Amino acid sequence: MASLRIALAQIAPRLGFLEENLARHRELLAEARDAGADLVVFPELGLTGYLLQDLAAEVAMRLDDPRLAALAAETTGLSAVVSFVEESADHRLFISAALIEDGAVRHVHRKVYLPTYGLFDERRFFAPGDVIRAAPSRLGVGLGLAVCEDFWHLAVPQLLALDGAQILVNVSSSPGRDLAAVNEVGLGTATSWRTLMRAYAQLTTSLVVFCNRVGVDESISFWGGSEVIAPSGRPLFSAPFYDEGLFTVDVDLADIRRERIELPLLRDERPELQARELARVIAERAGMSLDSTAEDGSSPGLDVAFEPPRRERASSQ
Amino acid sequence: MAAQKRAATALANGGLFELPDELAIDTDVARRVIVGFIRGQLRQAGFERALLALSGGIDSALVAFLTAEAVGPERLLAVLMPYRTSSPDSRQDAEAVVAALGCPSKLVDISPMVDGYFAGASDASEVQRGNFMARMRMAVAYDNSVAWGGLVVGTGNKTETLIGYTTLWGDSACAFNPIGDLYKSQVRQMAAAVGVPERIIRKAPSADLWPGQTDESEGEFSYPELDRLLYWMVDKRRAPDELVSLGFEPSMVERVRRMVAGAEFKRQVPPIAKLGPRTAGIDYLYPRRRPGSARRS
Repeated sequence: MASLRIALAQIAPRLGFLEENLARHRELLAEARDAGADLVVFPELGLTGYLLQDLAAEVAMRLDDPRLAALAAETTGLSAVVSFVEESADHRLFISAALIEDGAVRHVHRKVYLPTYGLFDERRFFAPGDVIRAAPSRLGVGLGLAVCEDFWHLAVPQLLALDGAQILVNVSSSPGRDLAAVNEVGLGTATSWRTLMRAYAQLTTSLVVFCNRVGVDESISFWGGSEVIAPSGRPLFSAPFYDEGLFTVDVDLADIRRERIELPLLRDERPELQARELARVIAERAGMSLDSTAEDGSSPGLDVAFEPPRRERASSQ
Repeated sequence: MAAQKRAATALANGGLFELPDELAIDTDVARRVIVGFIRGQLRQAGFERALLALSGGIDSALVAFLTAEAVGPERLLAVLMPYRTSSPDSRQDAEAVVAALGCPSKLVDISPMVDGYFAGASDASEVQRGNFMARMRMAVAYDNSVAWGGLVVGTGNKTETLIGYTTLWGDSACAFNPIGDLYKSQVRQMAAAVGVPERIIRKAPSADLWPGQTDESEGEFSYPELDRLLYWMVDKRRAPDELVSLGFEPSMVERVRRMVAGAEFKRQVPPIAKLGPRTAGIDYLYPRRRPGSARRS
C-alpha cells in the first residue's frame, strides 16, 4: 500500500458527554470509510472533552470497556486513533490514545508528559504514562502515537522513530493563545507547533500527522489547524483554524523511503552514545558522581556551593 | 531590546486611535475565537439568548456587535440604564448601536432606585453613588435575564480588570466575559474591525458616573501608555527595574504595580473556610457546565 489516505477528524467534543462523543466518532468513522480513508485520526480526549477536572473519573474507561470494543468493532478494514480517559486496573487515570483497527484495540499510548503550568493542570488529575513505543499496524508501517505535550519533549519523536515508527501521530487539545499580529498565522501557539512539527518530520524523516481539536471548553478555545507533514518537513496539508471538519489527505508512503535513503539521519543516530551520556548525567544529577558543570565546592547533587570560595572571603577582609 | 524601545505607538485606522505595536492583534482570529466562545458558553449552559448592559461606551458596544454576530441580533437584548446625570451622548450612542444591529432593546431609568436609596443621605460620596449605580444596573440586568431567558454577557476589559477600575458585583458581574482578555487599545482595534460607529471609538472613555468624568483624567494616564505597561508587567513578566529600563516612568510603574496588587481580590472568587472533606473551588473541581447542568441539554 504505497498510497495512504489519512482522514483528520478535527472535531469539537462535548465536555463530559461520553455517549454523545462516541456516537459522533461512529458517524465520522463511517464518513471516513465512505471517503476511502485508510487511517482516521481523532484529537486528544475526543471522546470526553478536555477540561474535565473531577469529571475525569466519571468518564474513564478500562481497556476492556464494552463501549471501546463497540467502537473498535467499526474499524474493519480501517485504522483509527481515538483518545479517552483510561482507567487502569489499579485505578490510575491516564490520558490515552488507542490505535484501533480491524475490529480490535491494537496499541495504547498513555500520555507521558502532563503539562502542569500556566493554564494546564493535568498532573493534578492524571497519572503519567511510562512507555514510549512504536506499534505495527495494518498499514504496513510502524506507527508512533503521542499526545499533545509529548511533542514538546525532544525524546518522544526520536524514540518513536528509532523504535520503527514511520508515521508519527500526535493527537492534541491545544488551547489557542498568545494572539498576535506579528506572526504568520496570528496565533503564537500555532506558530510554535508548526515549527516543532516541521523539525520533527525532517529530523526523524517520518511522516507527521497532527490532529488538534476545535471548540470551546470553559475559557479555552482550541484552534484546530490539523496537519500532515512530509518526511522532508514540507507541510502537505493544513486544516483551517477553528473549523470543525473531516479532512482527507493522500500521502505516498514511498516518500518516507526516498527521504531516508537521501538523508540517512536515522541510520546515523547514536542511541548507545545517548544512553551512555544520559546515564552519566543522571548519575551526576542524583549526586552519585562529580557534576562536571557544578560550582567548586558544591555538595553531591547540588550545583551551587553553600558559601563563596574561601580565598574571595580572605581578600575582602 | 532596542526594538522594544523604539517609538512603540502608531496611529491606527487612519488616525482613529493610538495602537501600541506590541498590542496589535490579528482581529480576524480574535473575532473568530470570541464569537465561538460566546456560542460555546450559551450552548454549554443550554441557552440561546443573551443580554447586556449597553452604556454607549466602546466596551459594551463591541460586546454587543460580537454577541449579535454569534447568536443573531434578534437573540440579543440590549438594556439601556441611564441615571439622570448620565450624558445624553451616551444614550444616543447606545441607541446608535441598537439601530446598527437591529437588536431588541429596553430602557430602564435607574434614577428612582438610586435616588430613593440615597434620599436624605447627602453625605454619600461620589464613589458610593457610582458603585451603587453599577450594582443597580447589575440587579436590573439579572432581573431581565429571567424574563428574557438569556445569559448576562460581561463587558469589562483587561485594563480595567487588572487595575481594579470596576465595581465588585456591579459592572463586573456576568455569566461570561468575551473581552476580558483584551486591553483597551485592543478593544479599540476590535471595535474598528467589527464596525462599531466611529464616534464611539473616538470619544474619551468614561464610567459616566458623574458629568464630565473620564477614565484618563481620573487616573492621570493614557490608555495606550497604561496598556503597554500592563502588557510588559503582566503578560511579559518584567520586573519593575526592567520596566524602567524599557522606558516607563518609575513613579508610574510603582503606582500601577500597587493598583494591580490591590485589585487581586476583585478578580477572585471569595475564599471559603476549609472544613469538610470536599470544598467548592478547592478540592471539588468541576467544569461550570457538565452533563446534567444545562437548562436544556
